Amino acid sequence: MKKHHYNPDSCTTCTACVVHCPVTQAVREFRGPKLAGPAGERFRLATDDYDAALEYCSNCKNCDISCPSRVPVSTLNMKARANYYKTHKQPFRDWMLSHSEQMAKMASLTPGLANMGMNNFLSKAVLKKLGISDKAPLPAYASQSFYKQFRKIKQQPQANKVVFYPGCFINYNQPEVGLDVVAVLQANQFEVIVPEEAVCCGSPLVVNGYLEEAEANARTNVGILAKYIEQGYPIITACTSCGLMLKQEYQELFELEDLDKVSSRIYDISEFLLELYDEGQLNTNFRKQTGNYLYHAPCHLRVQGIGKPSLELVRMLPGVEVTDADAGCCGISGNYGFKDDKYDIAMAVGSNLFETIKASGVTTVLSDCGTCRLQISHGAGVKTAHPISIVRAAYGK
Amino acid sequence: MRTSDVIVIGGGLAGLTAAITAAGRGKKVTLMTSGAGTLAIGGGTIDILGYLEGSTPVKTPRSGLDNLPPEHPYSKVGALAVGEAVDFFLNICREEGFAYTGGLDRLQWLPTAIGTLKPSCLIPQTMDMAPVLAASHVVVAGFTRLKDYFPELIVKGLSKIAGYQKNYEQVMIDPGFTGGRDVTTLDIARWLDTIQGQQACREQLTKYIKPGTAVIIPPVLGSKPGYAVRDTLEGMLNCKFVESVILPTAITGLRLRAMLLNRAKKLGVTIMEQAHAAWAVQDGERVTAVVTSNIDRERSYNTEAVILATGGFFGGGIVAEPDNVREAVFNLPVAAPVDREDWGTLKLFTGSAQPFAKIGITVDSSLRPVDRDGRVLLTNVYVAGRNLGGYDYCLEKSGNGVALVSGYKAGLSC
Repeated sequence: MKKHHYNPDSCTTCTACVVHCPVTQAVREFRGPKLAGPAGERFRLATDDYDAALEYCSNCKNCDISCPSRVPVSTLNMKARANYYKTHKQPFRDWMLSHSEQMAKMASLTPGLANMGMNNFLSKAVLKKLGISDKAPLPAYASQSFYKQFRKIKQQPQANKVVFYPGCFINYNQPEVGLDVVAVLQANQFEVIVPEEAVCCGSPLVVNGYLEEAEANARTNVGILAKYIEQGYPIITACTSCGLMLKQEYQELFELEDLDKVSSRIYDISEFLLELYDEGQLNTNFRKQTGNYLYHAPCHLRVQGIGKPSLELVRMLPGVEVTDADAGCCGISGNYGFKDDKYDIAMAVGSNLFETIKASGVTTVLSDCGTCRLQISHGAGVKTAHPISIVRAAYGK
Repeated sequence: MRTSDVIVIGGGLAGLTAAITAAGRGKKVTLMTSGAGTLAIGGGTIDILGYLEGSTPVKTPRSGLDNLPPEHPYSKVGALAVGEAVDFFLNICREEGFAYTGGLDRLQWLPTAIGTLKPSCLIPQTMDMAPVLAASHVVVAGFTRLKDYFPELIVKGLSKIAGYQKNYEQVMIDPGFTGGRDVTTLDIARWLDTIQGQQACREQLTKYIKPGTAVIIPPVLGSKPGYAVRDTLEGMLNCKFVESVILPTAITGLRLRAMLLNRAKKLGVTIMEQAHAAWAVQDGERVTAVVTSNIDRERSYNTEAVILATGGFFGGGIVAEPDNVREAVFNLPVAAPVDREDWGTLKLFTGSAQPFAKIGITVDSSLRPVDRDGRVLLTNVYVAGRNLGGYDYCLEKSGNGVALVSGYKAGLSC
């Protein structure tokens, strides 16, 4: 199997990445992925001078998607950023945004209070002081985490078992998406295991330069998931950024035992269901519903090289009309758009998508990524849903 | 079980043309891409045939076709298919609101950034030199901080060419960009997409414009496929614009790619980005599935036919190893001189083809790969674009032409 490799010399400086970089388009201070990534890497080998423009990279991965030489440009940027923060002070804001899991754990003790505390004038002013935009669409915490709600579900026992890795956003912010995943898997005769001992995939840590912590998380998760894989259980994700981190970025960033074994068994929920379909195993007893949607493919899905499985899946549902928005990055890129100094850039990046959505007249947009959904609601003023919720509705459960 | 009628591997001009042609015939098409390819950064002109062996310019691309050797891709598919492909392409451009101009019976000579003329065939209307030939006063415009673009070079070069002795004037337009990075034509094109950019450009140019002036400008007249920006500026200034040929990144290629992608999507082509085709499942001499190899695992995609358009050495479709040269997905044989010493000729500027440039896959008249004895190796695989052997696109100025014609033919054959 071909692996990504780090040799910046594979870059022929063709500029395909610069042409397709949404941040380069939005802000002239960014020198672009080619110079920040592979070209910058050559200089960083010789000196520890830091290219200030590096901070503009949002790790959206459109450079990786457009690179004809398979250079993981964005990962080079993330590694360089982590290196920089080894010797430089980092804002507390970055720590907060990177440790969304810890923040959520604290908040989930009293979610009502936390949400009230987040969404008032005073705390917005405090967050702004810290460098978090007071305009950004910060997610609300759910009153009960997915873990908590999952424990109460009485599943139909099944011989076939799968492991579901919900990730922080589903667990703490939108547990209903996780419940939909469980319902759909149950409708397909799978019993769902949720490993509560797993930790944050590390995506927010990586983008803010906390690589060592991210590696520790990776080691924990790989250890846990490997045990389930040994028992023959596939691992399901329903967040494209978690999926990408577990199956791809771990391999690009870290040398860990069992990594190959784990990444080869991680499935996006829609990809998993389509494979069932190919084997004639998918429950296609879909109820007719009515719905007209736009679908937004997250950049972190597009870079996985698996097409747009949820678009294919939703198109199988009777009565559902869905159009591919195909309008580029939404801009949020994890927690990038939450930052005060990046908010306007993120909104500029997403403007084409927002315009496309507004022009379409649809009231609900489907997307597999939680923060894409937040940004789309915020930028285009529409409702959003995970595609799996539409699949669950089709089962009438 | 999901299956495609045809999987096209490669998202360059050959692959996109093949996908559009096949989908237009009602085929269920999956297009697998790996990176955005050179189409996005290239010139976007369709050079069909400019020179023959020995650097002799052809009178017209059509007349040149008769003088090509039998192993040339154009000879394989025949002049009729070349003509059909040209018509097919021009028709798509018209229907998509981004009409190209030109045809097989005329060479188009385009101004380059170094003041030479380069032969092409099908070109965006913005590159047609007719307004410059008709004008007596020509303004050559550059942009402040734009890399590798010097109006004086263009004036110096063109002035020496018969028919181009004009009253030239140079002007530098300042887009007023802040920020530390180099200015590219893409930055300027995006600026000119905006009304503010158009007005600023008009203000800076207007005093140089006289009745009947033609303006030679780098390719910056809008980042999207279409002529709205050109029309607006020509209306504002009452002059004609001609875009020149530059080094990558050239917006002309980006526009062409955007138009073709739009067309493919309208026809229901499923596009899979970052799907790195690695090998194929075969049933005898038929391919039944294409297997992609990504960082996590391999995935298999069923299909009735395959169009291979993965490029040559540069695109990674053909791989040269110390003792071997091979095609990357199906391991097809590649015709190449046995002795590596014979791959290149040291006589660089003699107008003779470089042997390595002609290295590629040998095919039959429907573009299926064949062995040395002409026996078809895979019955449902068709080869298009730079994967093909038997032509030197640098020498001939035939790169996008072969991609278009073979892509079209493959899309019809599959």
